Parts: sequence; C-alpha cells; structure tokens
Amino acid sequence: MWVDEVNAEGGIYVGEYGKKLPIEMKVYDDKSDMGTMTRLLEKLMLEDKVDFVFAPASTAFFFAAASIANKNGYIIMSAEAGATTLEEMLPGMPYVFGVLNYSGRNQVPVMADLLAEKGAKTAAIIYIADLHGIEYAGVAGIEFDRVGIDVVMSKSSPPFTTELELLLKGARDSKADVLVAFTYPPTTFMAVTQSMAIGYSPKAIVLGPGGYMPVLREMVGGGGKALDGVIGEGAWSPKQSPASKEFYDKMVARWGEQTVDGWGHMFYWGGLQFFKQAIEKAGTLNQEKIRQVMVTSKFDTALGPTWFDQFENGGALLAVEAHPGQIGQWQWDAAAGKAIWEVIGPKDKATADMIYPKPPWPAPAK
Amino acid sequence: MVVTILDVAIGGIMLGGIYALIAMGFSLQYGVARVLNIAHGEFIMLGAFITWTLYTVLGINPLLSLVIVGPAIFIIGFILQRTLFTRLRTSSPSPGAYEASSLLAAFGLLFVIQNVAILIWGADIRAYAYLSVPVNLGGAIFAANRLVALLFAVVIGVVFYLFLARTRMGKAIRAAAQDAATAGLMGININQVLALCFGLGALLAGVAGLLISMTFSFQPTMGLEYTIIAIIMVVLGGLGSIPGSFIGGFLLGLIGHIVTYFEPGLTLPSYYFIFTLLLLVRPTGILGK
Repeated sequence: MWVDEVNAEGGIYVGEYGKKLPIEMKVYDDKSDMGTMTRLLEKLMLEDKVDFVFAPASTAFFFAAASIANKNGYIIMSAEAGATTLEEMLPGMPYVFGVLNYSGRNQVPVMADLLAEKGAKTAAIIYIADLHGIEYAGVAGIEFDRVGIDVVMSKSSPPFTTELELLLKGARDSKADVLVAFTYPPTTFMAVTQSMAIGYSPKAIVLGPGGYMPVLREMVGGGGKALDGVIGEGAWSPKQSPASKEFYDKMVARWGEQTVDGWGHMFYWGGLQFFKQAIEKAGTLNQEKIRQVMVTSKFDTALGPTWFDQFENGGALLAVEAHPGQIGQWQWDAAAGKAIWEVIGPKDKATADMIYPKPPWPAPAK
Repeated sequence: MVVTILDVAIGGIMLGGIYALIAMGFSLQYGVARVLNIAHGEFIMLGAFITWTLYTVLGINPLLSLVIVGPAIFIIGFILQRTLFTRLRTSSPSPGAYEASSLLAAFGLLFVIQNVAILIWGADIRAYAYLSVPVNLGGAIFAANRLVALLFAVVIGVVFYLFLARTRMGKAIRAAAQDAATAGLMGININQVLALCFGLGALLAGVAGLLISMTFSFQPTMGLEYTIIAIIMVVLGGLGSIPGSFIGGFLLGLIGHIVTYFEPGLTLPSYYFIFTLLLLVRPTGILGK
C-alpha cells in the first residue's frame, strides 16, 4: 500500500538524481524457512543489487537478517520483529533500525504495572519455544517479580502447535490470576478457543502475537462477545488520532477489516513514512548518508513527531514517545455489535480503561 | 492426581480417535491401492475448509456437513484414482515402479491441492467455535467438541471395519489388497475396487479434517504434518492392516498426550523416536504380518 501511494505521487524525490524515483519491488518467497530467507536476502543485496531491503517477518528471522544486512551495509528496518537480544548488539550494528516495541523496554513493564494495579497476584505463563517466547517469558519473570506478581507456572509450547489443552489445564490447576500466552498464531488462537472449551476463565488472559487479530472475533463467534476483557500485546487504535483513523480506514478499504493488525501496522506505517522522508532529506541512495539522517532527524508521520534513539554510534530503536501504545484489550461494544480492540496502556496513550477481572466466557454463540 | 490421569488418558484417546481415522484412510490407500499418498493430509485440509465454509457462510452444522464433505471428497479421490493413478498403474512395468511413480504423483498432487486451497481460501489460519462448552467426565473437564469427535471417529471406524469384514465389496477390497492380479482374474473389477479404496481413504481423511476443524485451527499448509503422523501410525499398526492402523492411531494419540503432559516440545520428537524404534525392532508393526 505504501509503495502504491508513493508511486502514485511519482516516487521518492532523490536530490542527486534531481527527480522522483518510483519504487520497484522485488519479492521472493522465503517459505518461512530461515535458511531460504538468509540466502534470498544475500541474493537481493549481492546479485540483484537492490537499493533498499525490507525486513523479514518474525523476531527470530529479523535477528538473522539484521546481521546480514548490517554486514553488507544495507539499512534494515524491522517489521514484525522485536528482539530484545538484538538490543545488546545494536551499538555494533549501525544499519539496524527497530520499529516495533520491545518486550523488555516497552511492553511487559506496562503490562505488569497494569495487572498489579488491579490486584493480580499470580501468573501462569505459556510461551513459544523460540526467540520471541523465551525473551518475553524471561522479561516477564523479572517484571512480574518487580510488581509483586508470583509466576506459579512457566512452560514452553512447541512452535505452531494447535494442542494446548493440557498446558491450559496446568494453568487452570495452578489457580493463577493471570494466564499469559507468549505464543504465535495459531497457538495464540487456541489459547482462547481451548480455554473456552474447557471452561477455564482466569481473571486475566494476556495474549502474544495474534491476540490483536480481528480473525479472533470470527473464531469465537458472535462478533467476538467472548473476547470481552482479553488482553494482548499491542497496540494502536484508530481512535487515537486523525492520522491513525485515516490509516485504519485506508487499510480496511484496501485489504478488509480482517487484516488490520492492532499491534504493529501503525508502527510499520510510521516507520515507512519516516524512511521516505529520510531518503528525501539525504537526497541520495547512499545507505550511510541516509542512516546518518535517520539517527539525527525528527519527522512528522502518522505516529506524530517521530524519531529514533541511537545506541551509542550503532543502530537505533523507534523512540518510545512515538509508540502508539503497548498493551491492548478487546472490549465489547454493544452498539457496534462486536468486540473492539482498545489501547489500555500506557495510560497516556490509552483509549479505554482496563477491564479486570475479565468477564467469564459467555454461553456459546448460536 | 486421578483427574490428571483422566485428563491425559481421555485427552489422548480423543486425539487418538481423529488420528485413527487418518491412519485408516492412509492404510487403505497404501495397503490396497498401493499409493503412498503424500497428499493424504491435503484431503484432511480440504475437509476442514469445506466444513468451515459451510458453517460460516451457510450456517450448516459441522456434524451435518458430514453428508456433504464425505461424498464430495470421496468423489475427488475416486476420480483421481480412476484417471491419474490408474493410468500410472497400467503404464508401470512392475508394482515397485508403480509405487515409486505414484509417490511422485501424490507429491505433485500435494502442491496442486494446497495451492488451489490458498487461491480459494487464502493462506490465513482459520478456526471456529462449535460445541466449545465444557463437559465433566469423572472430574476431568473436556471440550464437548472433542467428545463428539471421538464418538464420531469410533462409530465411523467400526462401521468401516464391518464394511470391510462383512460385505461382498469389503471382501473384494481385501482380496485386492492381498493380490491384485489374482483378484482381477477372479472377476473383480480391479480398477473399480482400487478407485473405491482411494476414494474411501480420502473420505476418511476428509471426515478427520471435519472433526479437526471443530477443535483445532487449520490452514492450507497444514496437510504434510498430518501425513507424516499418518505414516508413523500406519507403520505402528502394521502396513496394510486396517484394524492395526486404527489401533495405531489411538496408541499414538495416547502416547503423544502423555509426552505432552511432561514436555510439550517433545511430542513430535517422540513420534519420530517411536517410528525409529519400531523400524529397528518390529518393522511389521503391531498387527502386521
């Protein structure tokens, strides 16, 4: 959508060419295979000699791609990826830019504070056995401890598993106030549907990637009535600003409501708008010069004033002030007849108050 | 403690019921029709998606869609055997050559079905809530949809066994399984029987897909995972033995659930471990000859 919009205006104005350059996309399918992804990324940079690369999806993939791009002197901006482990390496990776919020710096502290404030005392954690899950579960251990929430269960689930019943029963038997599922889809969806099916309704359910997806409404039926009170990593909402509303409407018009990602899309969109302005300001396709602009400039995007915090002289992360939100929650909107994804934390970005405890699962929708 | 054991045991048997249908279908296709059907999982996927479409678009009860999903997938399987695989079989110089070429053809079929599904339904993960209500069995809580899935799996499995053991057509199928050439000489229309077997195998996979869609999420690329489990179950039960694969399915579901209870990450590795052990110690499986 961004490429089409930019090209509709004639492209990105690059000073050293004295004209607008349209963007031409070269897309390869990595088949969600790490080895294929790294080979294709190197091919794009070394054989195809593209001007810019976009990042692959998922934390673990970005972690691998970041080193490759950095080695070859290509700017790489993360999309669906937030590797805390990468943070330690950022000072030595000047070409790496993180757009999405990070577990340790951004999300889990906010979530822990919200839950503690409402009186949650214990938590059971299910996490995906890959970089994302391990990082989040690790950070949650520290953050929950800080706010006085006991982690009474912490178990990993294999990536992409759809069988969670036994883990959920373990969580139920632990009697924890909060169930946390740091998992990827489809496992995240199963955390909801299988909890419902065994009648397990803790005071709070916090979901990882996938928790914000509108498709969940369809999965539980009845416009998502059952989702009322389900919390997830995120978040942004079209209610936050005219720019976010405009972006939301454009996404719905083009791709349909089902595809709007209530966690990352706003981050990526702001990141792309930032990137375009940085290239235009640098007036060149030279990666090093654009990089310098990116770490020193502030641009207006759909996120509002947007800038990156540089790590020493290395890579950079999107400034937390520009984040639209960290934690979201589904809340039933009777007027709309469906559950709406609201931002509940941090409080200065929130579009709704947090519901706690979560209402029990309703009777199954007809 | 008792509840935990019930949770694991009954949960395992519920999963095993679905596995058993998958294994029986696979066994029928391999044991009789001699097609090592790598695309078996794709029929499961089709079953799940057709059920989902009927439920979400037309509001048809998933269990009622059985009468639509079953015949529809049977016809697809039947036609595939009559066209693609019959042609391969008659043009292959030996049964061995046919097994190799049909394996390759099935591999191609996998990609064709998968990509057609992506074109129709998109690559997204789907699920729906049907009978997502708790049922109490001796203190252990289970999802009603799993219980129903188990009942259906057992009933279909038993009916199917009776069909093979008691009917004239069943006898023809068993004869074809033992020696296709001789069975042909005895007046059995071998092409018809093999197509029937392949179609029924696909039907069982489709019904398993229907039951899976009630409990788990599904997506167009899910097939191969189930095919691999099917291969392990069929070897476990004994190649070519329909009751064996039925038992193999239940056994693997149960073992998988026990392993999951201790360490979910080891479930799939445990399947491979059983597979390896079996090939080393008893390659004929439990009921194989």
